[in-house]
Amino acid sequence: MGLLTILKKMKHKEREMRLLMLGLDNAGKTTILKKFNGEDISTISPTLGFNIKTLEHRGFKLNIWDVGGQKSLRSYWRNYFESTDGLVWVVDSADRLRLDDCKKELSSLLQEERLAGATLLVFANKQDLPGALSKEAIGEAMGLDDIKTHHWCIIGCSAVTGENLLSGVDWLLDDIAARVFTAD
Amino acid sequence: MDIQVDICEGNRDDNSSNVVKIPERLLQREQARLDDAERRKEAKESHSVANENSEFFTKAFNRDRAAIEELISICSGADRALATQTLDEATAKTQQLQKFLNDSMMFLAQYELRQAQASLQKLQTSLAEKRDEALPKKKFAFRSRTKATEQVCDTVPATQSGETVIDGHTPAESSIGKVEETVYSKQCGFSNMDDMVLTKTAGEINKNDVLLSHLTNCKVRLFGSPSTLHIKNVSGCEILCGPVSSSVFVDHCSNSTLALPCQQLRTHNTTSTQVYLHVTSRAIIEDCQGVSFAPFTWSYPTLDEDFVVSGLDRARNNWTQVDDFNWLALGTPSPNWTLISEEDRKTTWEI
Repeated sequence: MGLLTILKKMKHKEREMRLLMLGLDNAGKTTILKKFNGEDISTISPTLGFNIKTLEHRGFKLNIWDVGGQKSLRSYWRNYFESTDGLVWVVDSADRLRLDDCKKELSSLLQEERLAGATLLVFANKQDLPGALSKEAIGEAMGLDDIKTHHWCIIGCSAVTGENLLSGVDWLLDDIAARVFTAD
Repeated sequence: MDIQVDICEGNRDDNSSNVVKIPERLLQREQARLDDAERRKEAKESHSVANENSEFFTKAFNRDRAAIEELISICSGADRALATQTLDEATAKTQQLQKFLNDSMMFLAQYELRQAQASLQKLQTSLAEKRDEALPKKKFAFRSRTKATEQVCDTVPATQSGETVIDGHTPAESSIGKVEETVYSKQCGFSNMDDMVLTKTAGEINKNDVLLSHLTNCKVRLFGSPSTLHIKNVSGCEILCGPVSSSVFVDHCSNSTLALPCQQLRTHNTTSTQVYLHVTSRAIIEDCQGVSFAPFTWSYPTLDEDFVVSGLDRARNNWTQVDDFNWLALGTPSPNWTLISEEDRKTTWEI
């Protein structure tokens, strides 16, 4: 048994998960991350680069990677794909004009080999805005029903109020745990 | 043997009178525990993944892969229901195989892992191709919505353009125009106007998300506090807006003047535009040229109240701190934006 094998086993023992949070710019990725972690969300700047948070939730150690969504940063997304257990795709439900862009980016992500085993959670964010589309409408727009390659789930949420963030992450953890830790 | 000794010592500490009896009972328990552990170990070893050697993995993997390939090859488009069933079964099996691979990842060599991943990928591709071929109406991947769903839900016009194809080509330009019209009719804001003076009152805005699009040579006044503001495809406009409680998103804006307080400003594809800004976190630009910044100076009678509604901090204005996503070099300033010198700033505004 090599050292790498031992390390990998240790990672499994610790019930560690790596979540990658992506989406178009202004979708609310950083706000979701900070709100989930109980931090102040009023001073968040557009992400120039990425944020990593490690937090404990339900006995799991979560490594959450939040990578900036600006067009100029999207080509760097692939640098973060390796050994991702869960992909969190964040959508600005009030940004109707870029839904098509949003769908295209998501579909190209799902064709990525290195994300093949990852569970997909779609957050239809900004449900607190009066003009927001419902999670059903977002699901249609993203063509989620046609996804056969990944386990997926869509949850309507608001990063500002914190609504449904927990239930979304809980679903994600359950799904990943069922896949990754069943051997225990 | 060690165990027995331990137990005896433990017992002595307990100072119990049944010195002989208890170790016996404990020994029995210990034996039962060992048996149980042995049984569990055996059970685990009989489990597929517990056989942690790559030879076993390769065999099992290839066997399953062959089974799935068989499923895919027998599937034909003649009977839709049957084809759907077969393909779904194949999909489920592929997922199981993926899980098997994930479980085995710990003890596989890098090469074997890559090989397995490659063949899984191939399986998925051929599965998708078969799905296209056998069930042509319900292709895999991301298509535009079907007719039925269009009737149910007309709130997602952005993807109604019907031309979107499997590999994500853009829909025809003309259909976008039509689509956007439907978007605008449902939204608070203005669109498709030339040479107009456009005003929204605090009552109309009232924490709505506001959209301004396709405006040319217009003067726009937004009194009140929107929750977000989107500005898209405008040129030659003067847009003055009350405090925006979260972000302002600007895209394709040219030769315009904007004045707005907000939490974040995100500017894209914008040229020759002046921004009179109050921003409490940061402003960013991307793919912009000739954007210049000055502090927010517009005022109207209820501005103070709207600031309170928006929750923005009036004392914190980071209008000089602009991040250019196309200029990541430290030390040298971005050539894409400048600050407007004091004598060139606009101080009077027509309401």
